[in-house]
Formats: sequence, structure tokens, C-alpha cells
Amino acid sequence: MATGTLYTYPENFRAYKALIAAQYSGAQVKVAENFVFGETNKSAEFLKKFPSGKVPAFETAEGKYLSESNAIAFYVANEQLRGGKCPLAQAEVLQWLSYADNEIVPASCSWVFPLLGIMPQQKNSTAKQDATAILSVLNNKLLNSTFLVGERITLADIVVFSSLLHLYQYVLEPKVRAEFGNVNRWFVTILNQPQVKAVVKNYTLCETALVFDPKKYAEFIGKTGGASDKKQQAKAKEEKKPKEEKKKEEKPKEELDAAEEALLAEPKSKDPFDAMPKGTFNFDDFKRSYSNEDESVSIPYFWQKFDPENYSIWFGEYKYNDELSKVFMSCNLITGMFQRLDKMRKQAFASVCLFGEDNNSTISGVWVWRGQDLAFTLSPDWQIDYDCYSWKKLDASSEETKKLVQQYFSWTGTDKDGRKFNQGKIFK
Amino acid sequence: MCEVETITKIAKTLGVPAGEVKLNSEKIITRTNNNNTVSGFATILNVLAQESKSEIARNSTATREIAADVYQWIEFAVLYVAPGSKDKHISHQLLRDFNKLFATKSYLVGYFITLADLAIFYAIYNLVKSLSPVEKENYLNLSRWFDHLQQRPEIRQGGQVLNFTTIYLHGWAKGTHV
Ligand SMILES: N[C@@H](CCC(=O)N[C@@H](CS)C(=O)NCC(=O)O)C(=O)O
Repeated sequence: MATGTLYTYPENFRAYKALIAAQYSGAQVKVAENFVFGETNKSAEFLKKFPSGKVPAFETAEGKYLSESNAIAFYVANEQLRGGKCPLAQAEVLQWLSYADNEIVPASCSWVFPLLGIMPQQKNSTAKQDATAILSVLNNKLLNSTFLVGERITLADIVVFSSLLHLYQYVLEPKVRAEFGNVNRWFVTILNQPQVKAVVKNYTLCETALVFDPKKYAEFIGKTGGASDKKQQAKAKEEKKPKEEKKKEEKPKEELDAAEEALLAEPKSKDPFDAMPKGTFNFDDFKRSYSNEDESVSIPYFWQKFDPENYSIWFGEYKYNDELSKVFMSCNLITGMFQRLDKMRKQAFASVCLFGEDNNSTISGVWVWRGQDLAFTLSPDWQIDYDCYSWKKLDASSEETKKLVQQYFSWTGTDKDGRKFNQGKIFK
Repeated sequence: MCEVETITKIAKTLGVPAGEVKLNSEKIITRTNNNNTVSGFATILNVLAQESKSEIARNSTATREIAADVYQWIEFAVLYVAPGSKDKHISHQLLRDFNKLFATKSYLVGYFITLADLAIFYAIYNLVKSLSPVEKENYLNLSRWFDHLQQRPEIRQGGQVLNFTTIYLHGWAKGTHV
């Protein structure tokens, strides 16, 4: 019987597939302790085993490695779950696994993730229609079948069910799902199997659909949305561009529309930090020290090399801590921001930490970059997230700053209200 | 299906010996196994469930609430559904009611096959068998539940399979054209 370790963050619907399958088969699947999303799965050790760096990932007791959630679930399942002895039934199981990955998951993610605030809202998104079409297909199928394949629960049910979890949790409120009575009947049946209940805990069907919160995410969308938002974006860019840069540029003609203007601006997207003196601090050297050595070495190294003339240290606090719920979502918020700031990496370093637990947490971080001003205004690409934070420049010579740097770089201590350190993410 | 036949079939589904099952002089069903005689339909099923280690027996007695619920359905099956299924008017009302019930539920009690499903299944077996494909089409939820049960080998026991495939084609076509 399959035995091994599953790497995942908590409440990952993809990991559920394997965990539920294991409940049926009796496979010994242990969830890796101390897994930190974005850190563990990006470490050299992890990438050697799982080159994609994605989770869930499974390491067998014999030291073999599997990635892709469907493959892992297949491996830890049993014959019955895989469709039994009949090749046609096995193929039907496979059919539903492909359907889940190719149709359901993309539609679900693009509908739900923007509402959770972990993905920008897409203008003209067809996610809702796509999901509705999928639910209709399932509804027709489940009018005549108790389960998706044969007369018992198989991986088809487990995988399709897991892929629908977010939809049923966040958007399919009663009046929306009323149309899909057969899917509802089947979903609730699966949800209440003891093997499923053992894995999917504290789950409730949606009462009121999540709505996009424009107040909270106004800036967030404004900068990433469709063409109509581009004008504003272009305007904002104009206002915020540093003076020297502006002079070098030809003033764009008034008639240019936003898209053309954006195109025009494209080739100039060289590194905005280039305009600032390099000074004596070398980010690469420090990052190398930070990655390879203990903080008892790398933090003193930082202070020894830091050049306050040409570099600055900042404290950034998330403004909407009250609205943070699940730890994994908050972590996605941080890693998402890091990704959008990718081009800033070379001349910046940050440690952003999450304190507290589900439904009671805060995000804050210590940032270092070249220059003395708020770096995010240097490029329109960097303005998506920074408005969601309040920024304070720290005095590099003060004791207080030394303490903050110590705390954030070494992932210790608490936030100002005493919430314990939960997870940290490094921008480097 | 008569009570004796139903008990014998359910015993086989549960993987326990049926023993000697018959109607006594007062027309009450009895079951004798290992010199132990119990009488009454629901009581006999209860004893069979106690003896059985099968999944269905386990699920039927998982909690007190479930067991009580199952018991009620069994009583209902034997006292009302079985006789009613032979009456033209009552039988159609029964089919309508069950069809409505199975619109939101996969099974009668909880989320698994229990003795409640088996008791009702056998109580309406002949009625369902007598339906034409067009009639079955009026009861698609009930048909789904019925077919699900009859397809399970331990319930079918090598017996004849009632045909639902034609109505499925109708149902599918109807579903896709709305
Ligand atoms: N098709 C894969 C998708 C896995 C996946 O996208 N995992 C995400 C988290 S849910 C991940 O690990 N992302 C990390 C990254 O992209 O760097 C599966 O089903 O396992």
C-alpha cells in the first residue's frame, strides 16, 4: 500500500484529492510539517525532487517523487477508486479527471480568485458562463446517475468534487445553485461521506455569494483592468513619473489613446533604478549572505555594508488587516505582490511577515531599496499593490530600526498587538 | 414482492443466512435461524442487520438517529407502500412522492444505502417493473435511485435488470435542449 509524505499548504483543494483517496484505500499519507508555501517549494532541495516547484507533491516512502494532484490521488487510491477492473470504467474515471482539470478548475479559479482578492479581476471574463455551462453538463449527467462512474464512488467523484469546492463555498449561493439540483444532491452526498468529512473540515455551502469589493481593491483593479482603466493608469503614470525621466521623454500627443500611449512607453521600461547612484551597497552580496548564512551572520553583514546615502529602509503595513481571513490567502497576497514587483528585485530586498492565525492576522514587512523615495512610483508596473500598504521610511541609524530589521529578517517576534509570527516571505 | 421473498433477498444482500422464513398461522412473518425465532418484518430486518458485517448493515445502524429513521421507513414500506403499490391511485401518488424526495437526496436516510432503501426498493419493485418507458420518464429521480440499487451486484443477485436506458436517452436530450 502506498505510503509517503504529501507537501501542501493547508486546505488546498488539490491536496484533498489524494487525502480523500487515502481515506478510502487506507494508504498512509502524511502531510509534511512546517511546509511554508513559496519557501519550501522553492528551495533547492524541493526543486531537486519536484522540478515544477508546485504543490501538492508526494514523496513515497521508497524515495520516489510524484507531482500533479491527479497523479498523486491515482497512486494512493485503490482499484475501486480507479474504476475497478473494467477498462471502460477506468477510462471514464480518466475522462472526469481531465474534465476537472481542463474545464472546471480554470473556470472556478477565474471566477472565485478575484473575489478572494488573490487575483486581479478580469474584464469581460467568461468564467461565470463557463462555470454555468459546466454545471449544466454535470446536472444532466447526475440526473440519471448517482455517481459519475458506475454505482460507487470513484476518483471521478473525488476529483470533480474537490474542483467544485470553491464554487460551492464562495459563489453558488442558494438561488444560483437551485438550477443545478442534481449536482447539489450529488455534491452533498459526497461531502457527507465519512472519508470525505475526515479531510474536508469546517466546510459550509455558500449562503451569500462573495462580491468583488471595489473599495478595498479599487487601486488593485484600476491598474490591471481593461482598456477603460488604462487612461487613468496612464494619467497616474504621468503624474508620478520623476522629473528627469519626464524631460528625456517626448511629450506624448494629447490625441494618443491609452493603448497607444502604453505601447509608446513600453521600450523605455529599462530599470528605473539606473537613474540613481549605485553607492557602495551591493544587494547581490547581501542576498547571498542572507540565503546561505545564519541571520547571526547576515544581519551584522547587512549593517556593515548598508549605505544610507543611497539606499533606504522602509516599513510597510497592510491597511486591510481586518479583512484577512485564511492564512493561505494572505500568503498568496504577499507572493502575488512579489511577482508583480519582479522587475524591482535587483535593487530591493524585503521580508514580509504574516502574524497571527486564520481570521486574526496582520501583514507587515521591512523593505530596503536603492534611492531615498518610495520606489513603487518609479514604474507603473509596481503600483498595483503598494496602495494597500501604509509606508514609513525608517531612520537607518536608530535603535528602533535595528530592532525591526533584526525581527523581520530573522522571522521572530510578534506584530505590534502581540500576534505571533506565522509565516514570512522574502523578496530578493 | 411478497414479504418472505423480500426478507430472503435482503438476507442475501447482507450476507447472512435467511434461515427459515414463512408466514405463521396468524399470517405474521417469522424467521427461524439456529433455533431462534423472531417475528415481524421490521424486527427480522433488525436481527439480520445485527448479524451482518456488511457495509449496508453498518450504515443502517451507524447512529441511533439513523437506526430510528431506517426503522420508520421499513415500517412504512411494509404497512403502506407494499399494499399501496397495488392500488392504481395510491401507487401513482407514491411514485410522485418518491420522485420528489429523490430530487434532493441520493438515499432515503443519510448519505448511503441503508435497509430503508432496500425495503422500499422491494416494496415498489413490481410497480416499477410494470411502468412503460414513457411512464418512467415522469419519475427520473426515482429511476436514478432505483437503477443505482439494482445495478449493485449484491442487490441484483444475478436477477433481471429493469430497463432504464431508453428513458436516459430521453432525459439527456431533454436536459440538453432547455
Ligand atoms: N496541475 C497541478 C497544479 C498545481 C499548482 O498549480 N499548485 C500551485 C498551488 S495550488 C503551486 O504550487 N504554485 C506554486 C508556483 O506556481 O510557484 C496540480 O493539479 O497539482
